[in-house]
Amino acid sequence: MKKIKLTIAGLIIIGFAMPAVAQNGSLKLDLNYNYSIPLSGFKNDLVSNGSPRGFMGGLFYSFNNHLSGGLSFGFQDYYQKYPRTIYNLSKTQQISAVLTNSIQVTPVLLKAKYFPNANSFLKPYVSLGAGANIIDNKQYFGEFGNSQTNVGFRAQAGVGLMVPFKKSGTSGLNVGASYDYAPYKKYGYKDLNNVNIQAGVVLELR
Amino acid sequence: MKRILMMLIGLTAFPIIFMSCTKDVVKNLTTDESRIYITDHDSTVNFGNFKTYSISDSVAIIQNGKSSHESSDVGLAYINAVKKYMDQAGYQMVSREDNPDLGIDVNHIINTSTGVISYGDYWDDYGGYWDPYYWGYPDYGYYIPYAYSVYQVKEGAVSIDILDLKNASEDHKINVIWTGLIRGEGVFNSSVADSQVKALFDQSSYLKN
Repeated sequence: MKKIKLTIAGLIIIGFAMPAVAQNGSLKLDLNYNYSIPLSGFKNDLVSNGSPRGFMGGLFYSFNNHLSGGLSFGFQDYYQKYPRTIYNLSKTQQISAVLTNSIQVTPVLLKAKYFPNANSFLKPYVSLGAGANIIDNKQYFGEFGNSQTNVGFRAQAGVGLMVPFKKSGTSGLNVGASYDYAPYKKYGYKDLNNVNIQAGVVLELR
Repeated sequence: MKRILMMLIGLTAFPIIFMSCTKDVVKNLTTDESRIYITDHDSTVNFGNFKTYSISDSVAIIQNGKSSHESSDVGLAYINAVKKYMDQAGYQMVSREDNPDLGIDVNHIINTSTGVISYGDYWDDYGGYWDPYYWGYPDYGYYIPYAYSVYQVKEGAVSIDILDLKNASEDHKINVIWTGLIRGEGVFNSSVADSQVKALFDQSSYLKN
């Protein structure tokens, strides 16, 4: 738990320190609805259903017209219920149960966005981020569950498009997609990799 | 000021809205889906070597480490269901006085004052719930040859235990060779007793003569 708190505190300090170091430019708030689709080990071992319950946000400082960086954070709730099956708990012990996996993920990332066509009305961008992935993994046999909380690494690569509300405006609508690499070497699992589709707003704060 | 307020609202309201949308696992289960059936057995035992069985005529109600025996409609429904599926598995029911190869106990474990008891605790005092005298072996103790996992029992469970009486004299103990545990919503109900016991037998294909 101490490790989790230290990781979050460190990321928050770095994220808020970046604008102060840069000294000028605009500060923007991103708020996006997020749809997430599990991939690879996540899809095969835990949850194959897409999750419509999530958001991705962030505070970004514009260093110049092309580059902004800051702290990105989010939340996603994954859920899947599997039909009743008999599982072997040991060589001699079997359990018949409806298995439910319920996983809540809270990424806290340092993230940079690059806008190659900063002077055009529509502003496409690519993004890169890395940081902590706080994972709450609950597994239920019937109504009886176990919960495990861990902090892992998470890296993100994304593309998106910002559509300003008005010409030369810095606030606007945002659509984007990202691939998230999230190793999860616990309890025989491999990863929580996923792709995400976001839509929301970008609001200039100053 | 207005923008800072907007930021604060966004930073707090948005996460709260989405985090509150987390899908509740238990609320998304039907009564049937809430139930689990756990079986364990002694892998060194050949269940085909037993021919006859006898079953207790009442159910042990186990609460806070103490037990009483009750002959309720629900208990009777469970006892009858066990008889039905033992018969279907090829075993013949006899009275306790006819030296059955197997003895069967049915137990209802219910909530405790502390809210939690473990199945491990349940085993610790098994002789207190079912006096070995009941099965004709007053000086013997019970023994479980396999490692039974510990489960937290919060709101009630039904367990069924099969005892090896055929080899009790030779072993000087009564081995518990099969256990079945039913947990979940509404399991202690006579209308579901048959289906609950069937589930235990269905996942114990080795339990046949």
